Amino acid sequence: MKSFNIFLTALAGLFLISNTVLAQEIPDRPEKLKFPPLKYEPPVASQYRVMLKNGIVAYLVPDHERPLINLTIYVRTGTYLEPTDKSGLAELMSWLMTHGGAGTNTADQLDERLAFLAANLGVNIGDTETTIGLNLLAKDLDEGLQILRDVLYSPRFQEDKITLRKAQLLQALKQRNDDSSDIEGREASFLSRGEKFFESRQATSNSLASITKRDLEVFHYRWFCPSNFVVGVSGDFNRDEMIAKLEQLFAGDPREIAMNKTIARGTLPAIPTNFTFAAPGVYLVNKPEVDQGRVTMMLPSITRENPDYIACLVMNSILGGGGFSSRLMGRVRSDEGLAYDVHSRFPGGVYYPGIFSIGFQSKSRTVAYAAKLCLEEVRRIAAEPVTEKELNIAKKSFINTFPQKFATKSAVADVFVGDEFTGRYVKDPDFWKNFRDKIQAVSAEDVQRVAKKYLTPEKLIILVVGNKEEILLGHPNHPAKLEELLGGKITELALRDPLTMKPLKN
Amino acid sequence: MSISHKNIAVLTLSAAWTTLTSMQAQQVPVLETNLSNGMSVLLVERHDEPSVAGGWVAHVGSANERPGITGIAHLFEHMMFKGTTTIGTTDVEKDFQILSAQEKIREHMRAEETKMRSEIRRGAIDDLQKPENWSPKYRELQQQFKTLIEDERKVLVKNEFDNIYTANGASGMNAFTMQDMTAYFCTVPANKLELWMWMESGRLLNPVFREFYSERDVVFEERRMRLNSTPMGRPMETFNAMFWEALPYSWDTLGWPSDVSTISKAQADEFYATYYAPQNLTLIVVGDLDSQKFIAQAEKYFGRIPCGKKNPPDLVTLEPKQVVEKRLNAEVAANPQVEIFWHTVPFGHQDSYALQIFGQLLSTRTGRLYKGLVVGSGVATDVGAGQYSMKWAGFFDASGEAAPGHTPAEVENAIYAEIQKLQQDEVPPEELQKVKNNFAAAEYRKLNSNMSILQSLIWSTGEGDWREINNAKTKLQAVTAADIKRVAKQYFTKENRAVATFTRKAEPAKSGVK
Repeated sequence: MKSFNIFLTALAGLFLISNTVLAQEIPDRPEKLKFPPLKYEPPVASQYRVMLKNGIVAYLVPDHERPLINLTIYVRTGTYLEPTDKSGLAELMSWLMTHGGAGTNTADQLDERLAFLAANLGVNIGDTETTIGLNLLAKDLDEGLQILRDVLYSPRFQEDKITLRKAQLLQALKQRNDDSSDIEGREASFLSRGEKFFESRQATSNSLASITKRDLEVFHYRWFCPSNFVVGVSGDFNRDEMIAKLEQLFAGDPREIAMNKTIARGTLPAIPTNFTFAAPGVYLVNKPEVDQGRVTMMLPSITRENPDYIACLVMNSILGGGGFSSRLMGRVRSDEGLAYDVHSRFPGGVYYPGIFSIGFQSKSRTVAYAAKLCLEEVRRIAAEPVTEKELNIAKKSFINTFPQKFATKSAVADVFVGDEFTGRYVKDPDFWKNFRDKIQAVSAEDVQRVAKKYLTPEKLIILVVGNKEEILLGHPNHPAKLEELLGGKITELALRDPLTMKPLKN
Repeated sequence: MSISHKNIAVLTLSAAWTTLTSMQAQQVPVLETNLSNGMSVLLVERHDEPSVAGGWVAHVGSANERPGITGIAHLFEHMMFKGTTTIGTTDVEKDFQILSAQEKIREHMRAEETKMRSEIRRGAIDDLQKPENWSPKYRELQQQFKTLIEDERKVLVKNEFDNIYTANGASGMNAFTMQDMTAYFCTVPANKLELWMWMESGRLLNPVFREFYSERDVVFEERRMRLNSTPMGRPMETFNAMFWEALPYSWDTLGWPSDVSTISKAQADEFYATYYAPQNLTLIVVGDLDSQKFIAQAEKYFGRIPCGKKNPPDLVTLEPKQVVEKRLNAEVAANPQVEIFWHTVPFGHQDSYALQIFGQLLSTRTGRLYKGLVVGSGVATDVGAGQYSMKWAGFFDASGEAAPGHTPAEVENAIYAEIQKLQQDEVPPEELQKVKNNFAAAEYRKLNSNMSILQSLIWSTGEGDWREINNAKTKLQAVTAADIKRVAKQYFTKENRAVATFTRKAEPAKSGVK
């Protein structure tokens, strides 16, 4: 019997008696449960896509459950456009856009007004993409859009706020060596991308000091222009009204008249792809005061347009991307109790290959052994086919969690705006429609083939941050030598001066 | 079990989700009922996503521990993922035999650990984490134990509990342990709700704590990661331990290192029997489901768990009134800063709403601390403040990072000066309204998805009353300027506070940071 009616449940006293009977209906294994079918088709981008009069593409996803509106502008800008000697400029500019005054409002007036409206407005600068997000109550939309227009077209970059933000950023720089995870993230980026590649560039006290108000104005003017925008809106609005409001929002940038004769704007240089990956081997940063070592193992991965990308997703899920069901979790955490977190990632790059990585943290003396186990798993997934059971779990997980990708209306807008922004909408419009079939088609041979092709231990970089002495000492119950992992020596990396990023003398 | 007419009336209101739009009116349509074994059930029908977020709260946390077994609530949470009599093993009889043999060896190991602890007290050895300090007998026992682990692996189905959920499209499966609650949750596709009931009732009914000792090591690694190896982890643990005198909030949910590494499986069994009985659990589901059908099935699956013989013991301790200011002067690997705690009130206390508003008046970028200390006098580069209401007690936290050329003491005094203004003068209406607007908007923002509604319900029921998900907003909006002034005077006294000032520890000359 699959369904009970309300009268049965209301027979309160009888339940105690009938419990045993009911319990017998519970199967001993979950495989014996029968589930109703769940038909799910992902939303289709073109149904939400709008081309505004000025050529800006917007995705509008109405949702009347709550009286909120969430608007995100993706901007084709990021740290890759920073002058090399002005690292920190993009981040400084992004904060000052919303906190440095705009239009007729001083910084304090603007902050105060947004706070009174309980509106969240923020800019998030990335490497190659930047988002401006506005989340507010639907009733305040018009005022919110006016503020957004001011921020987009007439930011004031008040000097006193520039000084304040620089002081805050400088404070953050001072803490760069305090937490070993910060050291790990930074050095991992230097090793896997090269210190000169834009992704790795770090602000210094000098680079921050050199940034002027004019630098902020020029950066903002050059790159925050409508031809670089893609927009997503979800929430409590009417579609046609929103189109009209967006066209009004972006119409006629007043600065064109003031500045266009002196500064060229909008035309984007190509995103650099010339990263360098360091020589294979073990790299160590000594951090004597911590009792746990942090480890990142890295290899170049691929771009997401590579035909192997889907097979790599499945392979990585089995290796270390699939949480508790993955091999790394099973061995390093569950079998041996050597780490709380152990994972692998195989991101497909949009413009250039991503970086495959394995990460874990273990007490100093078992760092080498845990790394050895990870290395064994990297070799094993390339050496022998994965089991049908593992393959099945990984594939079914991708397929059955697929609807979660579009669970909320703001998620729908985000996915589609992201695809528009990165060109997937044009190049592979049926990506989501075909996603589950492509996952289903991945075979154990595919998994082994891509593992062999991309997980090449001879190119591996292992970065360790922790107590050198203890790490090298090892553990009698978990024997392994860090220096023997990749058959070579250990390169010790010096800590860097937190303000200049220059290596410190040991 | 029964469904009252009142509950059914609430249920019919669930259609109101999408039609109510006024600021005060939107209520989460929660249906509340109980199973025959005393387990509480909360349901929210929401047909927006083809999924259900399901979870349950055990009303137990580190506040229910005692010295010697600190960290057990959290360790126990980890053990709940190790399977059942049918999940996680190919041969449950063999499994039980091995587990019992393992425990015998562990008994001997515990006897050795007792000896080694006495050696530590005499100064013969230092740290039990060091393998060099282990006695030869202890090492021999470890080898024997290792052999049994290898036997166990022959019948073990690794992480099967997770495998089943993963293959069926569950996402976000996780759990957390706090001072007052332990919660387990995930999102399943709407058609797999019965699987969720099968899995969760199964692990409540017949859990098997296999791989106990390796998981204990995992938890120790979690401590290293969160507390030992972060710049402020241990110092804040110390400050917290100093702040709470009597209430068992003085230790972290991760437990003291010595305790975590000695907790036995027998202690975990006892803990389970005491605190994981149905009368101490609340089941919560939010999403694309049929309430009546769910209640019937919940009775079938969860109702079969026998009611506990005794109710869990009440926590009787009331924190004594603090009579003298406490101070901690710490040197740390971080920028100079100050942290101030005041004893305030627990969750649902009538003053908790005014204190929350008070916290917002002080914090945020347009709050008084930022305006006064960061933008104004410039003694700080960052500030924060907030009321933390827990089940058995609460506290208010204000903090600030000293700007270069200024000291934590200056920041501390500047914080007091801002509080003093609120003790002397009533907050202007516009400023109060601004803060209230933000609380009202936050009410909507937290109802973003099935999972976020589930988390709100987990939090409010865990701290003492799920109804706060709907009731708190009215009480927050009712707070007056006079209320603010009163709580500012009542709680923010010198005798009632603990102050931690942090300065940067001098580093080897190489660092160059002052």
